[in-house]
Amino acid sequence: MRTTIQSWLFFRLLTKPSVVFVELSETRPSPYSVFFRFIFWLALIPPVFAYIGAANFGWHLGAAEPLFMSNEELIAISIAYFIALLFGFISTAMIAQWMAATYGARHSLGIHFAVVTIVAAPLAVGSIVHLYPHVFVNVLVLIPTLIWSMYLLYRGLPIVLKIGPERGMLMASSLIGWLLVAAVSLLGLSVGLWGSGIGPSIGV
Amino acid sequence: MALPLVSKMTGNANDAVVEYYHDDVVRFLVMCSLVWAVLAMTAGVYVAAELIWPGLGFDHPWLSFGRLRALHTNGIIFGFGVSALMATAFYSVQRTCHVPLALPKLAWFTGVAWQFGVLAGGLSLLAGMNGGKEYAELEWPFDIVIALLWVYFGLVFFTTIARRKIKPIYVSNWFYGGLIIVIAMLHIVNSLAMPATWFKSYSAFPGAQDAIVQWWYGHNAVGFLLTGGFLGMMYYFLPKHADRPIWSYRLSIVAFWAFTYSYIWAGPHHLHYNSIPDWVQNLGMGMSLILLAPSWATMVNGIMTVSSAWEKLRTDPALKFIVLSLAFYGLATFEGPMMAIKSVNVVSHFTDWTIGHVHSGALGWNAMITFGTFYFLVPRLVGGKLYSVRMANAHFWMALAGTMLYVLAMWGAGVSQGLLWLSLDQIGELSFSFKDIMASMVPYYLLRLVAGLIFLAGAVMMTYNLAMTIKGRPTVKVRPPEVTAYRVDS
Amino acid sequence: MNGLQLHKKLEENSALLIFGILFVSAIGGLVQIVPSLFQESLSTPTPNTRDYSPVELLGRDIYVREGCSVCHSQQIRPLLAEIERYGPYSQAGEFVYDRPFLWGSKRTGPDLHRIGGKYSDIWHRVHLINPRDVVPNSIMPSYPWLVDRDANAAEDIQARLRALQRLGHPYDDETIEAAPVAVQGVKEIDALIAYLQMLGTGHDASALDAHGAGH
Repeated sequence: MRTTIQSWLFFRLLTKPSVVFVELSETRPSPYSVFFRFIFWLALIPPVFAYIGAANFGWHLGAAEPLFMSNEELIAISIAYFIALLFGFISTAMIAQWMAATYGARHSLGIHFAVVTIVAAPLAVGSIVHLYPHVFVNVLVLIPTLIWSMYLLYRGLPIVLKIGPERGMLMASSLIGWLLVAAVSLLGLSVGLWGSGIGPSIGV
Repeated sequence: MALPLVSKMTGNANDAVVEYYHDDVVRFLVMCSLVWAVLAMTAGVYVAAELIWPGLGFDHPWLSFGRLRALHTNGIIFGFGVSALMATAFYSVQRTCHVPLALPKLAWFTGVAWQFGVLAGGLSLLAGMNGGKEYAELEWPFDIVIALLWVYFGLVFFTTIARRKIKPIYVSNWFYGGLIIVIAMLHIVNSLAMPATWFKSYSAFPGAQDAIVQWWYGHNAVGFLLTGGFLGMMYYFLPKHADRPIWSYRLSIVAFWAFTYSYIWAGPHHLHYNSIPDWVQNLGMGMSLILLAPSWATMVNGIMTVSSAWEKLRTDPALKFIVLSLAFYGLATFEGPMMAIKSVNVVSHFTDWTIGHVHSGALGWNAMITFGTFYFLVPRLVGGKLYSVRMANAHFWMALAGTMLYVLAMWGAGVSQGLLWLSLDQIGELSFSFKDIMASMVPYYLLRLVAGLIFLAGAVMMTYNLAMTIKGRPTVKVRPPEVTAYRVDS
Repeated sequence: MNGLQLHKKLEENSALLIFGILFVSAIGGLVQIVPSLFQESLSTPTPNTRDYSPVELLGRDIYVREGCSVCHSQQIRPLLAEIERYGPYSQAGEFVYDRPFLWGSKRTGPDLHRIGGKYSDIWHRVHLINPRDVVPNSIMPSYPWLVDRDANAAEDIQARLRALQRLGHPYDDETIEAAPVAVQGVKEIDALIAYLQMLGTGHDASALDAHGAGH
């Protein structure tokens, strides 16, 4: 079994996902290599573009005037975003690995990092749209990419982890449960910080 | 503990003296529940469209948002939800007690009268008989009918339990029992009112006290009907489907009592920063956070039941729905306590985030576990195969996509509203006018409408699929097993 | 007896189970509701708060009937931005004559607790008949049917007032006697506007702290 993943493999997710899945199922990558070659960089895309976008255009949450924040606040928020994403990626991989025992799937952390990379890739790349932080434009772009990500999750997970499609389906649904909780935690954490006076200035 | 086995008897010579489970009433209630699902979801889609195109009210009072929205919520909770709960309670209580339903005529009466009650109640809301309390809008004559029918429901259910042939009462029945008892208590107290005429009454509680009582009701109707009642459904149908006992009996006990005790305290989180005493708000917030533990304990119990049996699993549409419903249950029961934290609530309160939260529960948890249960139950009721597995699989994807889109649209709308309403500029003045913020919600509302349409289309497909499954087939006669599968000697 | 043994008793005896559930679930409600029923600050009106006049009461009942509270809250939280947008924050004493309370849970439209006196009667009239005539992007429904209907068409104003009197509202018998005449010829839209115009006029400025904000 190969222990490295070719970088170009992930770029073929859009064109030939099934080839990528099969190829990954024949690989046993080390978690460090997947992390530093893929996950780290993917997690960097959204905060960097969000920073550039917010600094130049402000947040357009729909209303007429954009919402601007000071540079220090923006940097703090971007770093927090990056850390949250890294936490999300790593925790999802570890939870998938923990679930793998239950579903009789492959167990190495490296392969679960690879699964997370597959699922996160469209969303991370799609988040280039943060460059123009108009909420609805972002929603419009990120929803199709989210659907693509979910498709990759349900299709890819059973092949890469070498379990039957039926068990793969259950495991994917369980992972969605975790991802939803993680997403809403991120939302709640941000809002809670705003409510306590960190971030955009609100009158509470 | 093992689930009772179901033995199918055909052509038994002793038919005359043998008692069969009463499943016709179950079949009737399932079909009613499906009809309400389609009707009330259609009303939901219609009011969602009205928020984009207010002209859809056509200047007719019955189509006005304020009246139609009450029809949507009441139709879903009391039509779709309660019919499904009655159906599954009647089905499972017989099988977990090894006796046919006690008082079958009363069961039929309750089931049929309930449908007429919901229909008449819905029409009364359109006609403007509205008590004004959210999720308890029906006027006092209906409140009395509801209370009576609820007592009949309880009579049928508990009499069946009293006649059981198995000593321990199975866990699903604790939850169904909790549903019956606690909803009766909440409904009666919150509906206390002084009638002025046949169509108009005034709440027995004024102002701030009314608010505390109403959200004690409102929150726990969600708790014991939409959460607890449906957990009863989960506790019977999930192990049954996985053909495994529930993962941890001990956990189910602890979670049940912790749930029943702590849920009731959490209502005041609907009134953060409102004109009620601080200690009530803080108590509500604290107990909301504690509530996460029993809620998730039950989810873990469900997931582990499926997971510990994967080698036996036949994945059919039913199981897919049930497992996904647990994922959304996990989301909703996490999101709720989070939104009960005051510094989050300060932004989320009064926004569409609340609407999104309710629907992550209602679509993702209640509707999906009911869909899964019906896909499992209906073919068994008539002893046939599901009319179309492909259609059911397509329904799964539509339900998932509809729910996800709905939740995301409302997260976007809600967080924007919360932030923009409160946002101040450098000199401390409001940054945005209410009108501008409201006008900017159109894209989210469009997205929500699309999500609702997808979900509704799936529900229509399921109704057709199950109707075709049932069509022309009589209900299978099932006899209680002669030898009980499990008995405890005390 | 430990918890599991106690539970075993409950799960083998249906009457005990019923009682157990009722007992355990009642505690929280009792602790929260009973003290608030006796808390004076929740049931004492602010000095400016008065009972609804017969016309205002009919208007309020129309507000309830049409489900206005589904989209409009009547509860201004003690937050800086909210006070700036809507006015002084709401106090419990302002709601003592509200049955049911109409604080709402959602603001699809703006809060209405301090709407009284902000706009003219004629503005409200035009707005209720077709909101888009005065607020171009409004998504509020139109209420043209309020124009022609008599507010007291069912001739039940006395029954309504008496019901409230029985609940302890300080309506005297003369007011109730005179009510049908007082509401004579009043259309639903007029009654609703009368209610909207008195909304929020009961706040007690002396009880608010200097900045008007609670935290």
